[in-house]
Amino acid sequence: MNNEPRNPHKVEIPQPTGWPIISAFGLTLGFAGLVTNLAITIIGVGVCIAGLVGWFLDVFPRPKHIHVPVSEPPGPQRSARSIEYLKIGERGHRMRLPVEVPPLMAGVKGGIAGAIVMAALACLWGHLKYNSIWFPVNLLSAAAVSSLAEAGASSLSQFNTTGLVVAIISHGAISIMIGLLYITLLPMLPANFQWFWGGIMTPLIWSGFLFATIRFVDPTLAQHVDWPWFIGCQIAFGMVCGYIVFKEGKVETMQSLSLAARLGIEAPEKNQ
Amino acid sequence: MANDTIFNANDQRPELEPVGYETGSLTGVFQELVFTVDHKKLGLMYIGSALLFFVVAGLLASLMRIQLAIPGNTFLPPDVFNQSFTMHGTTMVFLVGMPMAFGFANYLVPLMIGARDMAFPRLNAFGFWVFFFSGFLLYFSYIGAPGLYAAGSAPDVGWFAYSPLTSSAFSRGHSTDYWTLSLMLGGIGSVATAINILVTVFCLRCPGMTLGKLPVFVWCMLVMAFLVILAVPCLSACQIMITLDRYLGAKFFDTQAGGDAVLWQHFFWIFGHPEVYILIMPAFAITSEIIPVFSRKPIFGYPVMVAAVISIAFISLGVWAHHMFCVGMVSLANAFFVTSTLLVAIPTGIKIFNWLATMHGGKLRFELPLIFCIAFLFQFLIAGLTGVMLAVAPFDWQLSDSYFVVAHFHYILIGGLLFTIFAGIYYWYPKALGKMPHFKLGLYHFAFFTIGFHLTFLPQHFLGFLGMPRRIYTYQAERGWDEWNLISTIGVAFQAVGIVFFVANLIYSFRRGKKAGDDPWDAWSLEWTTTSPPPEYNFATLPVVKSRRPLWDAKHPDDPDWKHE
Repeated sequence: MNNEPRNPHKVEIPQPTGWPIISAFGLTLGFAGLVTNLAITIIGVGVCIAGLVGWFLDVFPRPKHIHVPVSEPPGPQRSARSIEYLKIGERGHRMRLPVEVPPLMAGVKGGIAGAIVMAALACLWGHLKYNSIWFPVNLLSAAAVSSLAEAGASSLSQFNTTGLVVAIISHGAISIMIGLLYITLLPMLPANFQWFWGGIMTPLIWSGFLFATIRFVDPTLAQHVDWPWFIGCQIAFGMVCGYIVFKEGKVETMQSLSLAARLGIEAPEKNQ
Repeated sequence: MANDTIFNANDQRPELEPVGYETGSLTGVFQELVFTVDHKKLGLMYIGSALLFFVVAGLLASLMRIQLAIPGNTFLPPDVFNQSFTMHGTTMVFLVGMPMAFGFANYLVPLMIGARDMAFPRLNAFGFWVFFFSGFLLYFSYIGAPGLYAAGSAPDVGWFAYSPLTSSAFSRGHSTDYWTLSLMLGGIGSVATAINILVTVFCLRCPGMTLGKLPVFVWCMLVMAFLVILAVPCLSACQIMITLDRYLGAKFFDTQAGGDAVLWQHFFWIFGHPEVYILIMPAFAITSEIIPVFSRKPIFGYPVMVAAVISIAFISLGVWAHHMFCVGMVSLANAFFVTSTLLVAIPTGIKIFNWLATMHGGKLRFELPLIFCIAFLFQFLIAGLTGVMLAVAPFDWQLSDSYFVVAHFHYILIGGLLFTIFAGIYYWYPKALGKMPHFKLGLYHFAFFTIGFHLTFLPQHFLGFLGMPRRIYTYQAERGWDEWNLISTIGVAFQAVGIVFFVANLIYSFRRGKKAGDDPWDAWSLEWTTTSPPPEYNFATLPVVKSRRPLWDAKHPDDPDWKHE
């Protein structure tokens, strides 16, 4: 696409022809005759065959072409406007890529550690208030175990094997999930206050969410829960989990690579 | 195939006589149209014919809306009402939507990939004429359906012609046969054109135009062509079966003789649902070209956009029975088709997000094409949301065959497809005819048509909730439907005024419009590198492409795109 004028030359393009319309018309008559009169079908088939033969002779042994004189149009005008690219992180650039994130295992470890600390605090609360470390365990599992959901405070203070298993599974799974959320979310939040986001704000938001929904999920827990202690446990989880997630360091993501490279279709280029 | 060789003037091969080129007179123009194999002329002929059929289908819809404006109306007899909705639906799908898609593909695909013509120019002409004649065959039923010797009657079995309504016992005369035969005929043309598009894209791309550099428009048309080849033969197959049932005593759909009427529904919707995506692909294609140009930004997430289009097409092949929840399928089948239908929302959502992300932070120019595309985004979102609602089987059980469904698919096909067709016509009008469309007339068109569209179809959601079934030709008063039906009919009048402005704009701009120049929108794809209108050979020299925005590269040699891709 340069601007230099060229000598006139010719281009060959297909020769206009009437055979396609004749073939199409014959075909249409062939169909139309089926619902009008068979004679029309016979005529239509004849016209269609004639059209196809004419078409065949148009392209055999080589397609008929006509030559059209060509003149080169002026090329596109060079734009007077120039472009400035915003860089990642520059003011006005809306892209915020987590180019480095904590490894997945940090989330798992943080979740497990936080779960242990949280469970210990909850058991301490049970011991102080109900003189039983099993009380919070049974409260948690009451969401899934119907016998515990209907039990009174004295029964909830007793050891229950099913309750223990359900509580370990549910508490462990949720804690690991929250740990994984931490490694995903925390790199996206302002870097200077990550202890605040991870240790205070996220547990508070999570507690608020539970405060609004717990009566639907676990009515027994909602009935007996002591909210200051509960929030304290959540903050302890956030502090421990966040500390471990940060302590593990960060690994590079593939955000700077092309989609094809991220999908494994192409090898990442060295300069990327 | 179209030859891309450039000849030297000294070439001694004998010249062939051009056929059909008595230009300058009406006869000459007529001759040129009849004999042409030029993809651009055929593309415009597709679009022109589709607009013609659109006006006819619009008139049929207007008649139906007048009939339904008030309860107990006797404007149309019931049999004419049945014929009207059948012909309206069939025309809009097969004689407006698909030809529009083929028209845009025909005109633009070779220009966008830097080719001189379609791969099979003569087959291209054949495809157009078969479609055109199939339309005439369908409408000839008004005169000749019971045979040439009696009064005619148009098809009246609905555009999806469920069995056993189409059996010879319930559908006397030849009206259903006209429907069957004309669509079979049109199917031949559609498959021919689809093959042509595929071969053109795969074989005639200019140097440097790898698949990764194809405009999203071309990708969408490529996927549309694949869908046509996969879906349309299914329709033709079941139409052959129903013809055998009606005339040769086959029992494919005769439940009493061991056949299965539900089989028709499966066959039809195996075609019918991909057909919806065949129709909406041009909308995706046009929007993906217009939004970046008028936002002054490259399209956001090109690879993901292409992947989404392919995913939508792939998933669309496995969702057909969501049209059949009320048939009484087993729970597993219901669950499968609910899930697969909901899956479509993911790539579709990605596309909407990416169009919005393209606009976000861009320097928007509110020209006619962008205005129509923005309306499309809103309306298509509403259509998608009601689609998700209908994808849930228990919801569908309540609202199947109600006006809610009518509202849903009109939001897709009018709010989605037609708005982008208008956008596309305004966008490429300068390229095709060398004149700029008139902005004010276009704005009036937009205002009237958009208001009319929402007045017509938004109340139909409520009518569906209130229990109004589709296809009824009248209703009793005091059911809570009266006002909504009246509003819906008033909306049609607004739409009609909008269409008058549209047609007036096309004519006025052609006669008195400002000269467009080669690149009036400051665009980036190859069709804008050639003259407006383009010469028969498209490009004097075949372009060489290095990036997805070749014209940008040419206009900004100091900062070409290929450095960043």
